[in-house]
Amino acid sequence: MALSPNPQDPGSDRVPDAALASADAPARPIGIRAFLPNDLDPTVFDEGFLRQLERLGVLMKQPVRGGLKGGRRSTKRGQSVEFADYRDYSLGDDLRQLDWNVYARLEKLFVKLFVEEEDVTITFLLDASPSMAYGKPQKLLFAKRAAAALGYIALAGEDRVVTTALSGRSARRHSGLRGSGRIFRLLGNLSGIHPGEGVTDLLLSARHAAAMLSGRGVVVLISDLLDPAADRVIRELAATGSELIVLHTLSPDELDPQLEGDLKLVDSESGEAIDVTVDLAALDDYRARLAAWQESLEDLARKRRASYVPISTDTPLADLVFAELRRRRVVG
Amino acid sequence: MSFLAPIALAGLAFLPVVVAMYLLKLRRDEAVVPSTMLWQKLVSDVEANAPWQKLRRSLLLLLQLLLVLILAFLAARPFVERPAGLAGDIVLVIDTSASMQATDVAPTRLDAAKAAAIDALRDLPGGGRVSVIAAGRTARVVANGTDDIGNVKAAFNAIPPSTDIGDLGDALRLASALAARSGDAEILVATDAALATPPAGTLEAPVRVLQVGRDAKNEAIVALAVRTSPSGLSHSAFISIANLGLEMAERRIQLYADGVLRDSRVLVLDPQRKTDISIDDIDDPQTPASVIEVRLVAKDETTTAAPDPLGVDDRAWAIVPPAQPRQILHVGEREPYLETALTYLPDTELYYRSGEEYSTLTGLDEFEVIIFNRFLPDELPAKPILAIAPPESSPLGTVTGTLVNPGIGSLDASDPMLRYVDLTTVHIGEAIRMELPAWARPVIPGPGTAPLLYSGTLAGRPAAVIAFEPRRSDLPLQVAFPVLLANLAGELLGGSETPLDGIAPGAPVTLSIPPGAIGVRVERPDGSADELVATTAGAPVVTFARTDLLGVYTVTPIADPKSTASPTTGAPTAGASSSPSAAPSAAPASPGASPTFRPADPGAPVRFAVGLLDLDESRIAPGDIARLTALGQPAASPVTGAGAGATDPRPNARDEIWIPIVLLALLVLTIEWLVYERDTLARLRRSIATRFRGARPAGRDA
Repeated sequence: MALSPNPQDPGSDRVPDAALASADAPARPIGIRAFLPNDLDPTVFDEGFLRQLERLGVLMKQPVRGGLKGGRRSTKRGQSVEFADYRDYSLGDDLRQLDWNVYARLEKLFVKLFVEEEDVTITFLLDASPSMAYGKPQKLLFAKRAAAALGYIALAGEDRVVTTALSGRSARRHSGLRGSGRIFRLLGNLSGIHPGEGVTDLLLSARHAAAMLSGRGVVVLISDLLDPAADRVIRELAATGSELIVLHTLSPDELDPQLEGDLKLVDSESGEAIDVTVDLAALDDYRARLAAWQESLEDLARKRRASYVPISTDTPLADLVFAELRRRRVVG
Repeated sequence: MSFLAPIALAGLAFLPVVVAMYLLKLRRDEAVVPSTMLWQKLVSDVEANAPWQKLRRSLLLLLQLLLVLILAFLAARPFVERPAGLAGDIVLVIDTSASMQATDVAPTRLDAAKAAAIDALRDLPGGGRVSVIAAGRTARVVANGTDDIGNVKAAFNAIPPSTDIGDLGDALRLASALAARSGDAEILVATDAALATPPAGTLEAPVRVLQVGRDAKNEAIVALAVRTSPSGLSHSAFISIANLGLEMAERRIQLYADGVLRDSRVLVLDPQRKTDISIDDIDDPQTPASVIEVRLVAKDETTTAAPDPLGVDDRAWAIVPPAQPRQILHVGEREPYLETALTYLPDTELYYRSGEEYSTLTGLDEFEVIIFNRFLPDELPAKPILAIAPPESSPLGTVTGTLVNPGIGSLDASDPMLRYVDLTTVHIGEAIRMELPAWARPVIPGPGTAPLLYSGTLAGRPAAVIAFEPRRSDLPLQVAFPVLLANLAGELLGGSETPLDGIAPGAPVTLSIPPGAIGVRVERPDGSADELVATTAGAPVVTFARTDLLGVYTVTPIADPKSTASPTTGAPTAGASSSPSAAPSAAPASPGASPTFRPADPGAPVRFAVGLLDLDESRIAPGDIARLTALGQPAASPVTGAGAGATDPRPNARDEIWIPIVLLALLVLTIEWLVYERDTLARLRRSIATRFRGARPAGRDA
């Protein structure tokens, strides 16, 4: 699919003035810019990149029952071309489904059953806590880009995509989107997600989002998990029956802090401050603790049959999608 | 243990200051982070409830407190006491003579003497005073009654190595005078005791000798003279080299004329012997050299190591006498052959006067040789004389008759006057029979005891007599005649005498100020220059005393800017024909014994050489210190000292123990720095390890 200005799209008249007035506006496709979040780089989603995304799909460990007709195998038997099984004929069955070749050999009537292909709801839970506003590049921006890329993969695979922002103590869910033509809506939904203010209770907001899940599907949690209850979040989301994918997003400054000396560290959410003398030993301890924390989360995810992907925000989007997520069998 | 400056212990007041600095709340920079969750339990110095918790396990604090403690202790100058080994008033005599430059004790004997003196002064009692005398050519007090060893060391630094010739006599007498002012005095003499003649007399205090030096091996140039050869055409160098060691030595001697190597030869030097050599024709007659340098180097010229411990006596310089016109007066009958031959002599001006004119002649002093031909005055002048066929008896010899066709006797070929003279075909028609006087030696013997030519020293002046008129022989027709006359002139003109003596290091030199000049400028061998201007107008001489460097000094006149008259060249005042009209103004002799140099050309530079050339000073074998010790009083009691009225007990010596404390302070400071910079050092170590292993930096693996 090529993204090009669409004069028929009602969203075309929502081009922000700031985007049009920007210095590099002439170099950008105005139609796309209208649907992109202001902080998303439209050149990331060029046609070549999207073509590559279209070849991918969100992998699931096992088929689940979906809703509408889709492109993903369902646990139901249906009308697809993929043979699934035989069963004895019973009165009232559609005679078109009888396997006459079997009848010729065995003189018994069997009805061919085919795999039903349905869509699956892929829900993106974006952590919009204030801590996600930090990092270079910003963690929330990276989360949006990752969600946009995965969302496009899902839409192209005829899945249903839902975006939900986790902020404060609740979740703000956008309506589900289906079909690759809805990518602009998806981008618009993502552009509307901004870091919240105040303390975010990730557990409560995740519970709220879990309550809004309809059926089993795929839940993609994109968060820095900088919450004491992060393990419970994973545990409870995995318990919803949906397949859980955790993109643990941290910035390079968090992975390898460039701090030194006597500092007063202020928490961006709570505003609490602690006095720290950052020396080499403290940095070593920090890195060890961070590694242990990530390892514990990965163990937890593995036990809960969830996928855990630690990722740095300086990872290029293409590397994330085509290398890291493929390596971890999230997409394929 | 006590303290010299206990007030400095007040520095311990800094201890609570350091503690207070740690107790004060740190002013921290604020940094906003996404979450403090991961930092919560990591840091050890999270804001504590009790401030004293900050002090726990603070290695830096402990080290800094220890450092303050050590520094305060150091500033208080702790010391320990022990019985003093020296008197309360020390007069320290440092021998700075040339032999103290010997390197048999590293780096030199002088430096070793200074070190030994400093070491000996550790036994100085508390409050003891030290005077320092540098004993070179003269004695010089460089520190007087100081109680600060630092001042003594500074005084030592003001004593440079010297090439002086000294015998410690003046210095010991001065030391005795200084010691006499105190009741508890002692004279310390730091020397190699290599004294040819030990000082005599009695000193007013005990003498202790700090002897330095070990070896006796040394070869030295002890004499150097440049002489004009009898012909006056070239120069010869006469060198005396002494082997003062106990073993035979082989050394190479090199002779440079104006910096150009003219001769190099290896000498085998017997132990305890002098070896004299002469080197002829050291320069070209056409381009005579002005400065001769002789170097005594190792036999192998490529060797860089010093061939003997004392290097200052391995070089010597001599100034070649300037070519000055020799003025000869010919009196009596004219002799064309003689006059022709004499005018061929280089740098010779010949004047003639008849016998009658001689009686009225003035200015005889300006002539260097007077030749009387068939004439003798009533009174012989006090000048070198050559008498030819004297008509009558005189102090020059007694005339006893006439010889006809006298034969030439057996000649002594080694006689310098007959050098290159071939008389085998000479025939003499007639000669005066003379008796050989006692002052003369026969050069050309005649028949029997009657000499035909004899020479010698008459009344302190050279004189020679030719008993025949040249024209009465065929000698003037032969090559031997001018050669013989040249040798005669050289003998009579004193060509065998040293024209300019070398100057001993440190000896003052009297320099003449040429007419039209206000002073002289003396350029030393190291290139530095001193300008000496006469303090009184018209003073004829100035004295230059900075002759401490070995080498050649060049003296040039400083023209008087107010004077427009050019200097005039001197000439004899003889009223004879062809003689110059004015006599040269001889510079008056200085009152002292120092030599006076007067340039022949007032505007021309004058050179003089300073060299050691002292056999006694080159004899570096350490001498017997008992002869020096015996000059002093009996040794003092170590407890009460000596001297009249010395009843008070001598104070103890104090040894400050600052060195271990400083080392400890440095150690603590180093540890403190390492602890403070441990992060930087750890990062550096990791960086190096990463670079070698090529691994990724830690912390990005997540």
